[in-house]
Amino acid sequence: MNGQVSRREALAGIGLGALSAGCLGRTRNIAGRDRSSQLTLRIVAAPADRDPNAIRIARHLAENLNAVGIDARINTLNRTDLWRKVLINQDFDIYVGQFLEPEPFDPDAMYAFTHSRFVAEAGRQNPFGFTDVNGVDEQLERQRRAEGERPEVVAELQRSLCELQPFTVVAFPDPLTAVREERFEGWTNRQPLSVGALLGLEHAGTSDEAGTTNGTTEGDAGSGENATADGETADGGATLRLVTTDDQITENWNPIAAEYRREGTFTTLLYDQLALVDGGEVVPWLAAGWERVDEGTLALDLRDARWHDGEPVTAGDVAFTYEFLRDTSMGSLEAAVPTPRFRGRSSVVESATVVDEGRVELEIGDVNDAVAVRALQVPILPEHVWSERTDAATIAGFEFDVETTEAVVSTNENPVGSGPIRFVEATAEESVVFERNPDHFLVRADATDGETADGESDPAAGIPERFRGKPAFDRLRIEVSPSDIAAVEAVSDGIADATVSTLGPDAVPRVGREADSRLVTGRSGGFYHVGYNARRAPLSNPRFRAVLASLIDKQTLVREAFSGYAEPATSPLAASPEWVPDDLRWDDRETDPVYPFVGEGGTLDIGRAKDLLREAGYRFNDAGHLLSRGG
Amino acid sequence: MSPLLSVVGSLVLWVGGALLVAGAAIVGPHRLARLRTELAPRLWSVRRPLVALGAVLLASAVGRSALQTVSELFGLRLTGLIYAIEGNFVAWVQATFVTPELTVYFSGIYVYGYVFLLVFPFVAYLALPDTTTLKRLIVAYGLNYSIGLVVYTVVYAHGPRNLMPDMVTSLLFTYNPDFMALTSEVNEAANVFPSLHTSLSVTVATFAVLTRGEYPRWTPVALWLSTSVVLATMYLGIHWLTDVIGGIALALGSVYLSYRFVDEEGETDRDVDVDGTAA
Repeated sequence: MNGQVSRREALAGIGLGALSAGCLGRTRNIAGRDRSSQLTLRIVAAPADRDPNAIRIARHLAENLNAVGIDARINTLNRTDLWRKVLINQDFDIYVGQFLEPEPFDPDAMYAFTHSRFVAEAGRQNPFGFTDVNGVDEQLERQRRAEGERPEVVAELQRSLCELQPFTVVAFPDPLTAVREERFEGWTNRQPLSVGALLGLEHAGTSDEAGTTNGTTEGDAGSGENATADGETADGGATLRLVTTDDQITENWNPIAAEYRREGTFTTLLYDQLALVDGGEVVPWLAAGWERVDEGTLALDLRDARWHDGEPVTAGDVAFTYEFLRDTSMGSLEAAVPTPRFRGRSSVVESATVVDEGRVELEIGDVNDAVAVRALQVPILPEHVWSERTDAATIAGFEFDVETTEAVVSTNENPVGSGPIRFVEATAEESVVFERNPDHFLVRADATDGETADGESDPAAGIPERFRGKPAFDRLRIEVSPSDIAAVEAVSDGIADATVSTLGPDAVPRVGREADSRLVTGRSGGFYHVGYNARRAPLSNPRFRAVLASLIDKQTLVREAFSGYAEPATSPLAASPEWVPDDLRWDDRETDPVYPFVGEGGTLDIGRAKDLLREAGYRFNDAGHLLSRGG
Repeated sequence: MSPLLSVVGSLVLWVGGALLVAGAAIVGPHRLARLRTELAPRLWSVRRPLVALGAVLLASAVGRSALQTVSELFGLRLTGLIYAIEGNFVAWVQATFVTPELTVYFSGIYVYGYVFLLVFPFVAYLALPDTTTLKRLIVAYGLNYSIGLVVYTVVYAHGPRNLMPDMVTSLLFTYNPDFMALTSEVNEAANVFPSLHTSLSVTVATFAVLTRGEYPRWTPVALWLSTSVVLATMYLGIHWLTDVIGGIALALGSVYLSYRFVDEEGETDRDVDVDGTAA
């Protein structure tokens, strides 16, 4: 990480005299030692236009690192480059980012994030290269199987993670969204832009709205039909218009591409999962239901569904998907190429067997029900499309990297899913348009609408009322905006119905200035954290990471970087308080219970911070620089 | 999109108005009137640098996103280094000088003043009987763009507003979100080094000084406007001091080369070659 006087230069300086003077051995002993120099740490984060909060956390940390004599520098990278660097190439010291779960999540989400079996894999799984074989690994395995004692195991797991700090949890942000409700309503105060929330939207006053729209166009009745100024499509249906600062969905639709997906909301709308979890409620989705046929086997019955290209969705596709996620080369390459997303979930399923067209059995070992349901939350992929993408990835016919497959690097143009929306068109970096899939079981459920008690079975049995006949929009248009402020402005101006991406402290006060826009929020699972590359010294040392954790003043960051729209936290599970033991809860604390901030009111106590580093075994030179050997 | 159109509309209106006034006051009705007959032959005589400039702009419009991808994958990530070199200079500028009036002034300068500054010399030098200066100006513009494009590809860096939003407010976009629609069409946020706003303004100012004999009234106006644009890039939190220094160097280099390439009312074979390779 840093340059130093090379051994050769040092020897040249010492000259022959020393060598011939009989103290060759001593000279070798001195010159052979690598000299220490100031520790340099590079922090990567997205620029303020893309993530106004992460960069503020990075700045806070960099300032405090510099104060204790570490040369810290921030490099800003756009999201795709950032995640490619961190998740795929694992070429980073420290990153600042969000955990990519939209809603409060089951503790098993930590399995992929921190289990050491994933250290060598590229992707969302264990980006830290963190290993704790006897502690964290063992607790992660136990929580998968534990039933009654699961809370205790999960509490132990959290204590291990908080002590060892492979990453430092900073805060759970409020998922703020600016919305206007004149065209769509039902922006819940749970998580306004989750899959469930988008599907649950109602067309504002389905009958009223039609009346007012007609009212405005009635004057020129004849030509009015084509005046689609308000985003109304020619057939009178409505377009839901969202704005985002994240242009990834306009150029890549691959549900397993780790560097392109955040929560994966839109790919989840494109690709149905077997089960959908909405606000903690498990909804049987592509699978109409499931049962444990024996201790380790889950049998699922699929709904009658079709891919967007008209092919039927079969049990074969489900079995294919699980095998494919385990090895996207389907055994065709020397070594398995596991998927860079959904690794924890897919690792639950040991094998999948087709019983008949509509029934599949998953071997899940003796995991508990909560973990089994998580395993059902992966995008089901059409075998006839993805089985063509199992070869090693090539550029112009040349194999560039045998460690990856076409499936992982594909942009997945014209995605063929089975979900409630279908791809229509996109302009890279500008916009993307989806349309409602009229063939989807949610839509067909509306046609039968409970009333049909005559023999024909309900295509959406077990689906809650709020999803029947949905989505309420005919089209979903996502427009890319240059910054969060411009995005909020677009909602205020009536150009968009809601913002999708993170809103920073400069943008939030603008919402609601106009009467028509308002701020909605909910509970997020996407905690901001500082991730350390434990493959690199001294970040490999948990003592060193512990000191870094105590350089972060979470309380002050929440107040200043998030304008209070976040909850400081210690545990990654803080969004689900039922799992968090008392000793790890933040509640009304002023500072972190495990590694309290060294300082007060946002001001670092430099002397005390340096003492902590000395206690951990680190040394400083006369200039106060923290020394590292080799680096 | 409507915010973009409204900004472009008002830009055309204001800059067009300013050009009329400045044309009358600085160039003078006499020279302008002669343009009626002289326009075609003069444009014909500068056709080669003009075509070269067009080629550079076209290449930049077409190739920019590909070059941007190259920059993202292989460019030098210098945001951290630039900050390490100059520290909180831009933050200090904002903390010391920001007032609502100055923000309005510099926002206007950054968008309207800048466009006027670039367009006016074109008109003014076109009105001169000798087209040498016009050729040099066009060549210098082309060099600014083409060298800028190369450096943009090599250097991947974000501006102060993107690195330190806690200390540097993105003033232009906070107070005029509509401007953002325009600038994001033209600029990529990861291309801050060098500042093309600075380099093109300084190029114009340098020409204004070198040709003060022809247009003595233009020189102070150009100096004032270009200084304002240079300051605006930092005041608004868009560029680092390093970008500005890089921009000044690029400008002086481009003007120098344009004098090398375009001889006094002589043959101008070489400028096309060089521009062609630079593009």
